[in-house]
Amino acid sequence: MGMKEELEPHVRDISRALGGKVSEEEIERELGNYLNVYRVSLDTAKRSIVKKHGGNPADLSLGITKTVRELVPGEQSVSLLARVVSVNEKEIETEAGSKGILYGFLGDPTGTAPYTAWNPEGLALAKGDVVRIQNAYTKEFKGRVEVHLGNRAVVTKEAADLLPPVEGGRLTVPSGPATAAKVVDLKEGLSNVGLTARVLSVEAREVNVAGEKKTVRSGVLADETGKVQFSAWKDFGLAEGDVLRIEGGYVKSWRGIPQLSFDERATVAKLATEALPATAELTQSPRMWIEDLAERGGGVDVTIRGILIDIKDGSGLVYRCPECRRVLRKNVCRIHGEVQGTADLRVKAVVDDGSGAITAVFGKDLTELLLEKTVEECIAQAKEAMDQEVVRDELADLLVAQPVEVRGNVTSDDYGLMIIVDTARVLKVDVQEEARAMLEELEG
Amino acid sequence: MIREVAWRLFAGEYNESTLEAGGGGDRAPTYVVTPLGARVNRLFVVGVLTDVENVGTDGQPMWRARVSDPTGTFHIYAGQYQPEAAAKLSKVKPPAFAAVMGKSRTYSPEPGTVYTSIRPEMVKVVDENVRDYWILEACRSLKTRLGAAREAQAMDPLTKDALVTLGYSEDVAEGLVAAAAHYGKADLSRYKSLLAEGLRYLLPEYRAFAPEEPVPAAKPAPKAEALPKKNEDAEDAVLALIGELDKDGKGAPWDALLDAAGKKGVRKELLEETVNELLDKGLVYEPVLGRMKKI
Repeated sequence: MGMKEELEPHVRDISRALGGKVSEEEIERELGNYLNVYRVSLDTAKRSIVKKHGGNPADLSLGITKTVRELVPGEQSVSLLARVVSVNEKEIETEAGSKGILYGFLGDPTGTAPYTAWNPEGLALAKGDVVRIQNAYTKEFKGRVEVHLGNRAVVTKEAADLLPPVEGGRLTVPSGPATAAKVVDLKEGLSNVGLTARVLSVEAREVNVAGEKKTVRSGVLADETGKVQFSAWKDFGLAEGDVLRIEGGYVKSWRGIPQLSFDERATVAKLATEALPATAELTQSPRMWIEDLAERGGGVDVTIRGILIDIKDGSGLVYRCPECRRVLRKNVCRIHGEVQGTADLRVKAVVDDGSGAITAVFGKDLTELLLEKTVEECIAQAKEAMDQEVVRDELADLLVAQPVEVRGNVTSDDYGLMIIVDTARVLKVDVQEEARAMLEELEG
Repeated sequence: MIREVAWRLFAGEYNESTLEAGGGGDRAPTYVVTPLGARVNRLFVVGVLTDVENVGTDGQPMWRARVSDPTGTFHIYAGQYQPEAAAKLSKVKPPAFAAVMGKSRTYSPEPGTVYTSIRPEMVKVVDENVRDYWILEACRSLKTRLGAAREAQAMDPLTKDALVTLGYSEDVAEGLVAAAAHYGKADLSRYKSLLAEGLRYLLPEYRAFAPEEPVPAAKPAPKAEALPKKNEDAEDAVLALIGELDKDGKGAPWDALLDAAGKKGVRKELLEETVNELLDKGLVYEPVLGRMKKI
């Protein structure tokens, strides 16, 4: 298709928006000028031309047709051919009272995206339909592009066979080759991922999916860049130590930790075991900056070095509710009232590495190790001092302002990052070696 | 709310800051923007706590402490709203290695003059290892900023977007653009020597050739010029005293200086202010903590 034919519908669209008061030849010339001389996007060009001739860009009806993967945040008027993967209803409160909106996911072979229809009356949105959406706009939320259908949006139902069917929240046929990725690149929402990784661990467990029992094999995969938890929804005969080439995986996230899922639509091939470094090497925990973890949302078995700058309230010797394990305040559980608590030790600390801060949670075993005391000894100590806080004070003396190395899984929520610490140590660093290297580089 | 990171920053960079940014919105945090573009809301510093003093009243104490690093001195103020830090400060016996985490603050007694300080959230006495590790971290952090500032200076025009395209985070880019707009072209060679000073401090091979504690970084002149003339008399007097009291060539002991100055009617506050001025002008230095020597 030539440039001219491709632009023809847009020329007509501009002409219509301007009520026919500018000739199509003139519009065509101007559009060519914007696109070829000034090299702006088609969307911007169309809006500029309509504005220049005194029209309203909102009267344009033909957006630029894109695939889901091509969507970027901030599009003013975009068209999509997509299948409606899910439709949900929700009531929201507006200044004009409550109103119903629809939201869900839509997808095409390149990926899926969340959508919201703000004025759903008259919009043909039914689960499973293939629809052409015109005049949608996009925004970014949590690093992901969202499609919004506002007042100007037009939805037309198209033939169902234009796109592959939907199954399990995804379109069945990932079109084209999988996108190659390393573990460190995996981010929530990616689909059709191609990854080469070694199975560090795998176990089968039964889960309940929509009332149906399924066996899922889950565990940890690793490459040179890090580790990722996985779920395989089909028996691929995975065994510890296998090197796999997975094509057609997709990434979900649990509390910020990206997790790779793959099912019968994916292809899984076993590669020669030398294709990746040995298990022992991959098992090592990669050292990461908190800044990078914040950008990713989390990570599996990572190591952080920083200063432990604060020990929060509720650290040290605590008593937990025997029913629900919640920490008691003055022998009272928030749910179960006054109870006889069981003693426990824990630390909730803040570790800061100069690039960011993370809440670090140390359980009983680790706290005992750091204190070089058992929980029983701590109870005796608190009794003698007649103050439960002595244990926290001792922990603060021991740990605050110290450089530490902590290792564990990192999750995130609205309050930031958290690491459940598996191992920890106070760092003794040879500052001279690094200082000497930096000075040599500086004076070069 | 995501917790603000604690910057590792040398006093030599922090104290040069005269720009405060943010605070526009209701609860928007404020930042001290350094000449190298660090947007500092929280700092973590480790150095030698050289003196603590109650500059408030007995009923409403306000503890002021000085913490020195290889490049300069941080000023720490803790009052009734920082009870834990104030309690700790009131008990420290200087000199001591101290770690301080706190919020950045500026004080501007008159237009054109800005003093930076720290309002502590945490104060702790630590050992030399922790101090050395902090210096290394501060060096790493300064090195990163120097590199970014160098790229920013090479850019024409300097824009946030262009920096982000180069791979810098939004925060770093914003800081660099704000710093360039306020300070103009920062003298990078000065910060490069600050970095070298920090690194040499950690290396025993340089201690043999240098004073036990390094010379505080000489500051550029503008701040000194802004000060009122009446201080010059005090400066001359204090400079003379430092010369007289330096009996063993290791510098004038602080206590003796305090006594002698008091006899001449120079109160402690004025003495400290004056000594700081002399340090800034490069007329005296501190060969070891607690001793002053003429250059």
